[in-house]
Order: sequence, then structure tokens, then C-alpha cells
Amino acid sequence: MLRLDHVTKHFGGVKAVDDVSLCFKEREISAIIGPNGAGKTTIFNLINGFLRPDSGEILFKTKPITGLPPRRIASCGMGRMFQDNRNFGTLTCLENILLAKKGNPGENPLNSFFAPGKVRRFENSNLKDARKWLDFVDLPNMENVPAGNLSYGQQKLLAFARLMAAEPEFLLLDEPSAGVNPTMIGHILNLIKRIVNDEGKTVVLIEHDMSVILKVTDLVYFMDDGRVRTFGTPEDVLADKRVHEAYLGI
Amino acid sequence: MFEIYLMLGLSLNLLLGYLGLLSLAHAVFYGVGAYISALLMIRLGMNFFFTLPFSALGCMVLALIIALPSLRLKDDYFMLATLAFQSLVFSIFYNWTSVTRGPYGITGIPSPQLFGYKVSEIWQFCVLGFIFSAAAIYVCKKIHASPFGRTLKAIRDDELLAVSLGKNAAKFKVSAFVIAGGIAAIAGAMIAPYISYIDPTCFALDESFFIITIIVIGGTGNLKGPVIGTFLILLIPEILRFLSIPDAAAANIRQIIYGLLLILMLRLRPQGILGEYGLNKILSPYAQT
Ligand SMILES: Nc1ncnc2c1ncn2[C@@H]1O[C@H](COP(=O)(O)OP(=O)(O)O)[C@@H](O)[C@H]1O
Ligand SMILES: [Mg+2]
Repeated sequence: MLRLDHVTKHFGGVKAVDDVSLCFKEREISAIIGPNGAGKTTIFNLINGFLRPDSGEILFKTKPITGLPPRRIASCGMGRMFQDNRNFGTLTCLENILLAKKGNPGENPLNSFFAPGKVRRFENSNLKDARKWLDFVDLPNMENVPAGNLSYGQQKLLAFARLMAAEPEFLLLDEPSAGVNPTMIGHILNLIKRIVNDEGKTVVLIEHDMSVILKVTDLVYFMDDGRVRTFGTPEDVLADKRVHEAYLGI
Repeated sequence: MFEIYLMLGLSLNLLLGYLGLLSLAHAVFYGVGAYISALLMIRLGMNFFFTLPFSALGCMVLALIIALPSLRLKDDYFMLATLAFQSLVFSIFYNWTSVTRGPYGITGIPSPQLFGYKVSEIWQFCVLGFIFSAAAIYVCKKIHASPFGRTLKAIRDDELLAVSLGKNAAKFKVSAFVIAGGIAAIAGAMIAPYISYIDPTCFALDESFFIITIIVIGGTGNLKGPVIGTFLILLIPEILRFLSIPDAAAANIRQIIYGLLLILMLRLRPQGILGEYGLNKILSPYAQT
């Protein structure tokens, strides 16, 4: 589904990502773990096109996407949730989600004047789906609240709802559980498992919570200093001495 | 006058309010719209109403030409690029004397005529202006309520996030520019027969600033802002006249009041009286929100 072949990205002297090869299979949940500064977020930036690799190639659904602009990669079905909370702060929660759906005819200003029926029909079904996602993340009363006014955890949930509404085939989730209460984490993990099993989506998580890793992932990559040090099933990787050292700081 | 500045305010709001883009070139579209319409009437004897599509289309093409290179630049550099276009077009108005008659301006612009009915009295212009500005409000209202308008605001709030959702930010911005150019062109076409004389100074940089002031005072990102902004900013000269301040002094006092209002608004209420989006984010990167 997604493959990185010997991808390298340097920032000045910092080797943020150094000759990394990864492979994520369809209908699997994988995770990238590793200490802060290991280069995990940089990998996501390379995959969704925010950064261009210095060398190496990235293949998505067997097509090379290296160097494509991020909006094109998004249109191919790549969805991303950010580590830092990103929302459209002055838009309401509902508007934040309404935005996500692809192929909205109302995004062409001419259609609002010359094909208002088409725009309205799309908007109505969009509205129904958006409310469903707000319900799902337990923010139904927040419909008309500007996203900027939400708490940290709520913003995280809104970002997740928006990503789901965009219906990507491939989801990059950068620390989705940080700052979210355990009940909601369970809720989100169940949904992730469901969309992978029922809808055939593929998910990559960056995650620090080992219980999350053990519960849902099929494959784990452990990174340190811009390199993949080990990978395998979650049980094997978490048993690795180097992983212990990195996380316990020994 | 009110209706003309209302249209200019509505038009700039699409850029400044919805996209957070501070364009200093808005008087360009206003001016080119005025010149196209006036010249077609005088040189070719065209009817005022038939000149409108030419004005609007001309300015929409010009907006495309200005937007494409300017939008590649960020923040302050974008502003500088629009400033350069403003100066460039002003000097074309000023120096292309064979067409624009340069500093002498274009005189004797005829009144609009429709089915033999002549629009020449002030009240008749008011009615015409009312119809045009109502049309502009209709267009802006549609945009405000449309997914297009919503995406413009999203791009303003977080362009990278919008792009990560697959939005073509550049296309949205250019579209907004083109629509804004078209509306400003109609305002320009209106002013020409209304004052029956135009010259380059009508469309200079201070006119661009004047339109910006309307939005800064009235408010960003919705329709009420430009309406209240235009009303207040045109009220100031009337108040000065009411206080019987001599004309020579009034012109200077007016400028001082506009300047003070700009500074006060940005410090105290950066989203304008009825606006949604704080302009301090683009006008001063160091300001708190
Ligand atoms: N845009 C950037 N410019 C310069 N250095 C960067 C940039 N992004 C990341 N880095 C550096 O690359 C390294 C890896 O960062 P990152 O991928 O964010 O780590 P992680 O997500 O694993 O915590 C860090 O040393 C970081 O400082
Ligand atoms: Mg990170």
C-alpha cells in the first residue's frame, strides 16, 4: 500500500530521517515508536508531501508520489492528523467537519449561482454525516462553537472527526491519544479497528502509549536518531532491549 | 458615493476578511473598471450598461494577472507585490496619455441611459447604485453561505491543514481575487458617470488605503462589516462639514481621523466593529490575539 525506499531527509547538519525503508500493508494497523526527535513526525511530513526527501522514493498504491504537492497526495486518499492540534480556529466545529468531504460541488463559486440544487443536495447529506461524526466523538453540543474555543482534548477529537469525514483510505495519526481521556481512547481505537476490518482502510500511528500499541497494531517500527533500529510484531519489538533502553532512559 | 464604497468594501472583504490577504492594489480594479467603461462610452459611443461586462471582464483578467505572481509570495512580500502593481497601474494611467489623457483625465463622461431614460440627477444615481450594490450584496451573501466561502476562511485560518485535506489553496485564492476584481470594476464603472470626470488621482494608493480602512473599521469576514464601515467612514466628512470646519483644514483633519481610527481599531478591536477575524494577525505578527 505504502512503501518508503531508502528515504533520507537532513535539516542542515541534523539527519532527521536517515536511509529509512518502511512498508505498510493494506488493511493493517502499524505503528512508529521511538523517543522524541527520532524523526517520526518528519516521516509523516515526507509521506504527505509537506517535505521533499533529499533522496529515496515513496510509493503509494504502487505509484511514486515523491515530490507531489500535498493536496495531490491528499486527493489520492492520504489523510493526516497532526501532533500539534490543528483546527480551523474561527470556524465552528460543524464547519470544520463539513469542509472535509471531497468533491464538494459548492467549492466552485459558479455552482452556488448556477447549480444551487446540486450544491444544496450535497450540503444536506454532508451535514448529516458531519453531525454523525460530531456525535461519534462526543461533541454534539459543540456544533456552533468556534473550534478555537475548545479544550486541548476536544480539539484532538474534532481533528479526528474531520479526518474521518474526509474518508481517506490511508490514515496517518500523529500521537492521537495524547491528552484524550481513556474512555475516548478506547472508543477511537475501536473505530480504527472497525474501519480497518470493515472498510479496508490502512492506518499508521505514532504512539507513546504501549498499551495502545499492544492492543491494536499488527506491525511496529522502532526508530531512533533518524534510523529504523528494529521492527516486527508489537510483542517482539517491545521485548527488544534497545526499545527498553530508549523508553526507560537507561 | 455610499453605494460605490460599499461595493468596494464588499469586494476587498473577500480578500482581506475571508482570506486575510492585505492587498494594496484594490484601487487598481476600481480605476481600470472606471477607465474601461468611460473610454468605451466616449470613444465608441457605447451605452453605459453595455460597457459593464467589458469593465468586469477586463478587471477579472487583470485580477488573475496580478494574483498569480503575488500569491506566490507570503505575508509582507505579498503586500509589497500588490503595492508594486498599484504603483505600476497608476503610472500607466498617468503616462499612457494617448488613451487615458494622463493627468488631464477624462472629461465629459455621459450619463447612463436606459431605453431613452437618462440617469443624471443625484437621486437617480442613488437608485442605480442601490440596484448595483444590492446585486453585490447578493453575490457576497451567496459566497458567504457557500462551501466556497467556508473554504476561503479555512485557508485563512490554517493553509497547511486545508492543503492536507486536498484543498487547492492557490485556486481558491485566485478565484476570490477574480470575483473581487469584477465587483470593484462595477464600482469603478459607476463612479465615472457619477462624477463625470476621472483622472489618475481618483485611483491612487490612498484610495486603496481608504478601502482598507472601511474593512478595518467595519469588520472582517461577513456582510455587516463593510456596510457599517462604509457608513461610518463616509459619515466623518459630513460631521466635519456640520461643525463648519473650513474645507482646507477638513481634508487634513479627515486624514488624521482615519489614521487614528486605524491605529485604535487595530489595538482595541482588530476584527473591526462587527467582524470575525482579527487583522492584527496579518498586520502585526508580534501582536497578541
Ligand atoms: N522543519 C524542520 N526544520 C529543522 N529541523 C527539523 C524540522 N523538523 C524536524 N526537525 C528536526 O528533526 C528531528 C526529528 O524531528 P521529528 O520528526 O519531529 O521527531 P519526532 O516526531 O520523532 O519526535 C529533530 O531533531 C527536529 O529538531
Ligand atoms: Mg513528533
